[in-house]
Amino acid sequence: MTAALTLEHLTKRFGGLVAVQDVTVEIAAGGITGLIGPNGAGKTTLFRVITGGVRPSAGRALYYGREITGWSAHAVCRLGACVTHQIVRPFADLTVLENVLVGAAFGGSHRLGGLTARAEAEAVLEFTGLARRRDVLASTLTLAERKRLEIARALATRPRVLLLDEVLAGLTPAETDQAVALVRAIRDRGITIVMIEHVMRAVMDLSDRVLVLNYGRLIADGLPAEVTRNPQVIEAYLGRDFGVM
Amino acid sequence: MRAARPAALAAPVIGILLALVPVIAPRNVSLLNLGFFTFLYVARGVAWNILGGFAGYISFGYAAFFGLGAYTTALLWLRGWAPVATYPLAGLVAAAFSLVVGAPTLRLVGPYFSIATIGVGEAMRILALNLDRVTGGASGLNLPTTVPSKGWFYTAALVCAAVSFAIAAGVRRSRFGLGLQALRMDQEAAESLGVRTALFKNLAHILSAFLVGACGGLEATYLQYLHPDSVFGFTESISLVLITLIGGLGTLWGPVLGAAVFYAVQDYLLASYPTLHLLVYGVLLILILLFEPKGLAGLAARLWRRMQVSR
Repeated sequence: MTAALTLEHLTKRFGGLVAVQDVTVEIAAGGITGLIGPNGAGKTTLFRVITGGVRPSAGRALYYGREITGWSAHAVCRLGACVTHQIVRPFADLTVLENVLVGAAFGGSHRLGGLTARAEAEAVLEFTGLARRRDVLASTLTLAERKRLEIARALATRPRVLLLDEVLAGLTPAETDQAVALVRAIRDRGITIVMIEHVMRAVMDLSDRVLVLNYGRLIADGLPAEVTRNPQVIEAYLGRDFGVM
Repeated sequence: MRAARPAALAAPVIGILLALVPVIAPRNVSLLNLGFFTFLYVARGVAWNILGGFAGYISFGYAAFFGLGAYTTALLWLRGWAPVATYPLAGLVAAAFSLVVGAPTLRLVGPYFSIATIGVGEAMRILALNLDRVTGGASGLNLPTTVPSKGWFYTAALVCAAVSFAIAAGVRRSRFGLGLQALRMDQEAAESLGVRTALFKNLAHILSAFLVGACGGLEATYLQYLHPDSVFGFTESISLVLITLIGGLGTLWGPVLGAAVFYAVQDYLLASYPTLHLLVYGVLLILILLFEPKGLAGLAARLWRRMQVSR
């Protein structure tokens, strides 16, 4: 079976800085892959290189065997790979429903008619638990709701691969639990998830596989338990205390 | 997207009432002239708002489209075309030019875009001044003197305004309009949700340039004399920005209200105090930016809500 995402020697340089360096990895369809690493390791840049926000300096990215290197962001989204933003970017003057409607009306490989798009948006709101808030302006939402809205909008584009960038950051423990449950529910729908996350408990809990990035390089790749024992990872990111835990 | 029933009915009713004016008062030339210029400003303000208000790209260069439309009509008219037949062409010439200008400038964001459009507008004025063989240059261009009645002009301008308004209303409630709003608020987020932002911005630009170009054609027929400094003038560009900001940026009714106030003030003050209208616009602009960013339309909506509550 072809992998959902294939990255071959993917590299991104910003002037003299190498943000992503020679990353080669295959991500199989289904399941959750965690992407961790210290701040500035190039995690978000890697997401943006895959989904068309920035053009890679070298290497290739493939989506189900189809080359998407250098595609524009809207094209990658329509093909079926959608990314959420670390710093939430709701359309502030639109209602929650309209925000999700943007994803439903524009994302996806086949275009939905007005009414179908609306029904899709409503279904997504129901699924993500935002239905109650559908008619309020996005600018009035709490942070947890905004993070949820990011996910909802992305889901409305009907992706096969969903790239989640720190959707748990800044949430209270209770909110985190709810968000973790939502991520699981999305996975259970058969959507392949890659998630950047710093909340270790959640990443280790959710992920079937963990990738570790440091200074733009992939330094570890394996089951959560293996990765936490990897001395390089402990040195670069987790710290000694985590290893003892 | 949010449907407002009374407002949807208001537009056709107002349109029909206004259309009766030339029937009732066919000889009231000053009233018909007032209507002609106001409606043309409405048409252009509403059109400008499709790019400036819905998509958030504030252009100071629409005189280029207006002037191109005016000269297209003028030159064809001098070659024996009926003026009415040239208006769609005037629009098309402006639309084609907007594509040439928009492809590079719409990549710029915020004030950078606005500044680039000032350059484009001025460049067109200078060009028109110097291409004397085509445009008559600084001595201007005299057009045929056989023109329709004032009542005809009044109705034609009203039709322009109605078409512009209907198109803007259609855009606003369409998928295209949703995409424009999304890209105004956050271009990157819109793009990552599948909105083809570059295409949409250019489409909005072309659509509004077409309408403004056609208006230029109609105004050329009325004026019977064209000069680059008037139709390509910076005043023309800035008028559309002022009309929309005073009326309410991004609202459907804003440019309509804005144009009425704008032209009424100008018409009333210009004769006795030639520059006082500029002071009035300045004060209005400051008040609006400080107290009601949605302009007169926002103010009207606020008063309407207050009346509903107190009832």
